[in-house]
Amino acid sequence: MALISFKNFSLSYSDDSPPALRGLNLDINELESLVVSGLSGSGKSTFCLAAAGLLETYPAARQGGTILRRSRGEGTGSGMAVVLQNFYAQITYLRSSVFEEIAFPCENLGLPREETRRRVEEAIEKIRIGHLAQRNPLELSGGEKQKVVLAAALAVKPELLILDEPLSQLDPETTAYLADVLLELKKEMALLIAENDPYLTLKVADRLVVLSGGMIAADGRPDVAINRSTSEYLDLPAWAICVDEATRRGIIREEIRSPAYELDYRRAMRRLRDRI
Amino acid sequence: MSVKYENVFFAYGSTEALKNVSCEFNSGRTVLVVGQNGSGKSTFLRLMNGILKPSRGEVHLGDTSTKDRKTSELARLCALSFQNPDDQLFAQDVEKELRFGIDNIGADGSLLDPIVEAFHLGEHLKSNPYSLTYALRRLVAIAGSAAMDTPVLALDEPTAGLSIREKKFLGNLISLLKNRGKTIVIVTHDLNFLLPYADDLLMLSLGEVQFSGRRDDLFTRNDGRDLMKRSAVGYPICARISSAAGLNKVCFDAGAIVEEMTKK
Repeated sequence: MALISFKNFSLSYSDDSPPALRGLNLDINELESLVVSGLSGSGKSTFCLAAAGLLETYPAARQGGTILRRSRGEGTGSGMAVVLQNFYAQITYLRSSVFEEIAFPCENLGLPREETRRRVEEAIEKIRIGHLAQRNPLELSGGEKQKVVLAAALAVKPELLILDEPLSQLDPETTAYLADVLLELKKEMALLIAENDPYLTLKVADRLVVLSGGMIAADGRPDVAINRSTSEYLDLPAWAICVDEATRRGIIREEIRSPAYELDYRRAMRRLRDRI
Repeated sequence: MSVKYENVFFAYGSTEALKNVSCEFNSGRTVLVVGQNGSGKSTFLRLMNGILKPSRGEVHLGDTSTKDRKTSELARLCALSFQNPDDQLFAQDVEKELRFGIDNIGADGSLLDPIVEAFHLGEHLKSNPYSLTYALRRLVAIAGSAAMDTPVLALDEPTAGLSIREKKFLGNLISLLKNRGKTIVIVTHDLNFLLPYADDLLMLSLGEVQFSGRRDDLFTRNDGRDLMKRSAVGYPICARISSAAGLNKVCFDAGAIVEEMTKK
C-alpha cells in the first residue's frame, strides 16, 4: 500500500479564500522520489503540510476528502521528517550547540543515547557541517541554519522525508553536493520535495507533479513533465530556454523535443548547434 | 550613490565574519554579492546601512561614513530587505507595511505605485502579510524597502522562495530602479537568474574578498573559473552552455546565446 494516499482531498484556509488544494487524488509510494513544482500559491507548501499531517487539526468544514496513511512499521525509524519552507521556525534555540540541536528530534523519539549520538554524527557528516557542530545555532548564517534543520530531519531516518524548498538559501556548491546526497537518500526513504529548480528536479525526481491553482496540471517523469506546456508554471533548464528561443526566432524550423529538455546540457547544446 | 568599503573587519564575538574587506562600486551599478554559506555576505549587507558597524575600517555611502551616523540617518541613504521576510514584516496589512519605511524617513512615496504595479501587489493591499504565501511575503518585504526610494538598495537573497512568475516581477523592479540610477546590492546564490542584471560582482570566501569588479572581467580572466570554484560559487549554467554551444565568450541569457550561435 502507498505510504500516503490523497483521496479527493481539498482544503481552504478561510471562508473567503479560494481552496488551496482542490480534489487532489495522489499516492506517495514507498521509496518514491516525488518533486512538486508550481507557481507560488499553487498549493505546493499546503500539499507538503497536508502530507506531513500538520493540517489535521484544521476545521473539518474547510477540508474535503481524506488522506490515508499506512501505519508505521516496527523499528526505530519515524514515519516522517519535515523541513519547512520557513526553516528558521524549526530551530528550537533551546540548545547551545548545533550537535544538541540535531539530537533534539531523536531524543523526542526516545532513542537510546548512543543511537542518537551515532545518528547525529552521521547526519553531520552527510551534510558536511562538522565545522559547525559546537557553534550556537543562534549565531549561524541563514544557509547554515538551513543545513542544520536538514541534518536534524535526516537523523530521524524517516520513511518519508518532506522538504519544502530545502536548498533555497544554499550556495551552488552545497546545492550540487546535496543533490547527490538526496540521490543516495532515495534508496533508503521516500522523498517529497517542493521545488522549482529544474536542475534538482531532473537529477533527483522519479516523478514530477506540477500544481496549478491547487490542482494537478501535470504528473509524470520529470523529463516529460517539464515541457513547453508546463513552462508557465515552472522554470525550464537554461538550455531548453535556448532551444525555445531559437524556435521562436525561426532559426530552427523543426522542433527539437528531445533531448533538449534532458539533463545532459552538452548534448542538448550540440544538437542545437547542429541545427542552426 | 557609490558604496565603498575600506579595510573593513567585523566579528560576532570571537567569530570573525569579515576580514579586511575593501571594495568600491560606483553609483548606479547593480552588484551581486556571492560566496559560500557563512562567507560573510549578509554581514557585508548589514554593515551597509549601519545595522552593524565595522570593528575596524570604514564603510562609505557616497561621502558619508557609516561610522559616525545613526542607523536611522543611514536609512535615508540605504534601505535593506532581510534574508528572512518574516523578520521584517509586522504591519496589519500590506499597504501599511509598504508605507512604513516611506513614512519613517519622510520620503515622498512616489515610487510606491510603480513598485506595486511591477509586483502585482494591488489586489493584496488590504491583506494581512502573514496570510500571504512565502513568495508574496518576500515581495512585500522587498517592495517596502524599495519604496523608500533611497539611493542605495540592499537585498538579501531576494529570489529565495520565489517562483518563475515573481522572479520576473523582481527582474522588472531591478530594471525600473536601475533606470532611476539606483545602486543595487544583492546577496544571492541565484546567479542563473540574476547574472543578466549584474554590472559588478563581489565574491567572498571565509570573510575575505576573492574578487571585486566588473562581471564581464571575472568571466574573461583566465583564473575566473577557478576563483568561482574556490568561493563555492560554482560555474554558472549560462557560462557552461555558452561553452557547450561553442561560443568563445560567455553570454548571460538565452537570447544572447542564440544570437551568438547564429553569428558563427
